[in-house]
Amino acid sequence: MSVFLRDQPSIGPSRIRFLVFGLAVVLAAGALTARLFALQVGASGHYTALAATNRTVSEPLPSTRGLIYDRSGLPLVTNVASYSVKVRPADLPESRRDEVLTLLGSLIGMDPADINVAIDSNPGSRYDSIRVAQDVDPTVANFIAEARQELPGVEVVVETRRRYEKGPLFAHILGYLGPVSPDELPDLRDEGYLPDDLLGRAGVEAVYEGALRGQYGSQLVERDATGRRVQVLRTEEQAVAGSSLRLTIDLQEQAYAEKALKWGMSKAHLKRGVIIVMNPQNGEILAMVSLPTYDNNEFAEGISAADYQALLKDPDKPLVNHAISDQYPPGSTYKLVAGTGTLADGKITPDTLIRTAGYLTLGGARFRDWNGVGFGLCNIYCGFGHSSDTFFYQAAAMLGIDRLGFWAKKLGFGAPSGIDLPYEASGIVPTNKWKLDTFGLPIYPGEVYLAGIGQGYDAVTPLQLLNAYATLANGGTVYRPHVVSEIIRPDGLIQAIEPEVLGKVGAPGALKTMRRAARTVVVSRHTYNLVDLPIVIAGKTGTAEFGTPGPSGYLPFHNWFVSFVPKNPWKRASDPNGYKAIQRGDSELAVIVFSYNAGTVGNSSTEIAKYFYQLHFGIKKDYRNAYLLKRGNYYRLD
Amino acid sequence: MNRRVGAVWGAFDLQLVTYAALLLCFGLAMAYSNTATAAVGVFESGSVFLRGLMWAVIAIAGFLIAAAFDYHWLKTLTWPLYVFQLGLLAVTLSVGSGIGGTSRWVSIAGLQLQFSEIAKVLMIIVLASYLGGRAGRMGSLLSIVGAGILAGPPFVLVLMQPDLGTALVLGAILAGMLYMSGASLRWLGALALAAVAAFPFIWTYVLQDYQKARLTAFLDPLADVQGAGYQLYQSQIAVGAGGLFGRGLTNGSQNAAGLLPVDTTDFVFAILAEELGFIGALVVIGLFVLLLWRILVSGWRSKDPFGTMFACGLATWILFQLIVNVGMVIGIMPITGIPLPFVSHGGSSLISLAIGLGIIESINVRQGRAEW
Repeated sequence: MSVFLRDQPSIGPSRIRFLVFGLAVVLAAGALTARLFALQVGASGHYTALAATNRTVSEPLPSTRGLIYDRSGLPLVTNVASYSVKVRPADLPESRRDEVLTLLGSLIGMDPADINVAIDSNPGSRYDSIRVAQDVDPTVANFIAEARQELPGVEVVVETRRRYEKGPLFAHILGYLGPVSPDELPDLRDEGYLPDDLLGRAGVEAVYEGALRGQYGSQLVERDATGRRVQVLRTEEQAVAGSSLRLTIDLQEQAYAEKALKWGMSKAHLKRGVIIVMNPQNGEILAMVSLPTYDNNEFAEGISAADYQALLKDPDKPLVNHAISDQYPPGSTYKLVAGTGTLADGKITPDTLIRTAGYLTLGGARFRDWNGVGFGLCNIYCGFGHSSDTFFYQAAAMLGIDRLGFWAKKLGFGAPSGIDLPYEASGIVPTNKWKLDTFGLPIYPGEVYLAGIGQGYDAVTPLQLLNAYATLANGGTVYRPHVVSEIIRPDGLIQAIEPEVLGKVGAPGALKTMRRAARTVVVSRHTYNLVDLPIVIAGKTGTAEFGTPGPSGYLPFHNWFVSFVPKNPWKRASDPNGYKAIQRGDSELAVIVFSYNAGTVGNSSTEIAKYFYQLHFGIKKDYRNAYLLKRGNYYRLD
Repeated sequence: MNRRVGAVWGAFDLQLVTYAALLLCFGLAMAYSNTATAAVGVFESGSVFLRGLMWAVIAIAGFLIAAAFDYHWLKTLTWPLYVFQLGLLAVTLSVGSGIGGTSRWVSIAGLQLQFSEIAKVLMIIVLASYLGGRAGRMGSLLSIVGAGILAGPPFVLVLMQPDLGTALVLGAILAGMLYMSGASLRWLGALALAAVAAFPFIWTYVLQDYQKARLTAFLDPLADVQGAGYQLYQSQIAVGAGGLFGRGLTNGSQNAAGLLPVDTTDFVFAILAEELGFIGALVVIGLFVLLLWRILVSGWRSKDPFGTMFACGLATWILFQLIVNVGMVIGIMPITGIPLPFVSHGGSSLISLAIGLGIIESINVRQGRAEW
């Protein structure tokens, strides 16, 4: 420092300011040194320990996802090993990103732009691995694993992915897995999910996500300079495998149902159709097919954005399970509600005669019967059996809209059935309150008429309608429908899904009468030769208008057939019309068929259901009437 | 009027060169360590170490040329140099590339150049020339305003890249040089107060969210340990794990595990402290103190106000970056992306510093008989 004392700078800064500057240098160096001393000498042990745990990283140890079996134990979903390529952005130098991704893209046959999209849409941080490809060829996987210098930040891991053994046949039941979205990540992270985890997005995979996933463990892993795993040091916490599921659905029944529906749809040139088979005694779904369908293996293999968009844009919505997620007017099948209600409330007895006619006049408007002339004086068997509209206009008017709605809700309409599948619609049961809340207006008398025959505001899902008839078939108990029968825990413990009672209708006499009326529908040959089958079938057809009139001036329509058979369905000489059998309420099989936008000469749904019964009961003689499935302008067959 | 006389090479400051060269050696040693642990051949083409060597050679050449060059010409060339500086920054903004939408580097013949580093030494030349020319009139507010007007455009251009760290360095150089020029303390104090008052406005309207996150992360690195706090957390682990004697060159666990991003540039001191320990870190800080002392001595001795001001500017630059960079690594300063002079790997910074030291030597050897 002697130099500063000897001279003065010629011009400019004073000696003091030089001294201050010098002091600043010494103070700064002193402060930095003091902090360094505190970190390196004072707290060294603490940080040395931290550094050791830093090179060895605790990594999640994925659990094995549970499998799914059909009713008889056949595997419907299995896990297969797959090489996945992952990128950890923090280890990928920005300056080499283009070069690395171009090379990686050429190796795994992917557009580098798509890899960039995958990396940039990653919901986690730069230090989380992102899956950019799966099912990579083992040779390519090996090459990538070796090419550390050429591909920094890229790693290959062996993962399992789902294989759906029956693909489209069970796609709507089983669903598929999809990636975690950025919005969900914060919550899911707390539950132990990783940013590149997959979780159930549809079907049983989504509803039983918690059981199927199991619990991730963790393992201590040593990493090298490029962040890649050198070796697994030890398992810190064992992963707990997910539980497996056994479905109530039988592969054979499902195949029969699909076969019958596909036959009818191709003959009648239908775009959408649904068939559901159920056991009315416990709510077990035995088959559920919604067409068109999709192949959930496309999702398991990593569906491309273009293919996914194509599925989303398809007008017939193959990704939607029409059996539960869409609601439609029920048409004449809904006459069950007014029939049950008037009987239960004592408005009519089975002997009460009501005059039917070609039409009723109300407020200057005509409300037609479907056959244009009516059926004369009719009791409930005649009215339901011939599906007389004028009969049920009057029945609905006797009850009034709110009482009609009361009985509809008793039968399970207007609320989700609670089936263990996601995205269930709730349907609509119009009441005064509902219309005031929705439109700010009261119900008009004409709307009560329409509500009685399943038109107007009435809307149901095929499953709700089936469940209502299953309730009729079992004598009045509303069960929660379900597709899973057992949860099989990894330790072998089996948790059975018990039948769950949602409610009781509580009018056994009325329901007994309605079961006979449903048999009358078949016996009266309203359903053509269905009565000729060697089994006793009861049911109800429905033709439901929707939308706007077509070129011919008629509204397009869906048709329905919802039916059930007694426990012992075979006809007996002692009970020629099957009335005794059907009135017992011991049915273990109910079937609904829905034909969307049918436009056929006859009721296609009845023919499809008939074919299913033939397949199910092994009836050799073929009773199908293919001519009823021709396109035609026959209108209002009911 | 300065008469141009021959250089007196006896006045060449060997100490200054020695300290700088030793710091450079530390930097190369860290580049070597990084290369060796990355499992790349140390002498493989394109390795960090080889590029470090190449930049060192270029920097030494720059130093020698600057020392041989008569610094008086810099005063004559002040305005062209100022325009050149603005040009470099404008070019960076228009064609530069960087990470995440920034533009910081310009590639020339395969080399990535960071012109904002060169702008630092040019800024010091321009300000030294201006403030030196106003010697004797420094009490007036006009001098401060003039210097501020000169420093403003480069400051804004750098901020637009956006490069907050370099902008702060430019601001520090301006403040340090104004102080050492003898500017009115009252006005400087008032400006400092104004800057403090303007801070909430800058925080709200000028700074980007990521910049704010980095600026506040050091207060609690663990709060966002996977994000902005990650580097801070890892670098403190590295420093602390070094202990008194260090783990030995290339033995750093943080280095080897690749856990510390930018470990040869902004966070090089963390690796240095882990591998060479407290002793090594202390030697480096000591070398900086010695180097700053020699620069200040040159400024003190200069009979030319330009020389004095230039030395003060260079000293401010190096001191500010030392405090901010090391402070950041040991967790007492926010993350600003400012390199450690001579030690951090980076050609533009090294060349700029070497030219600065060369000018100091040019000033040293051209004082002898200047007043005759």
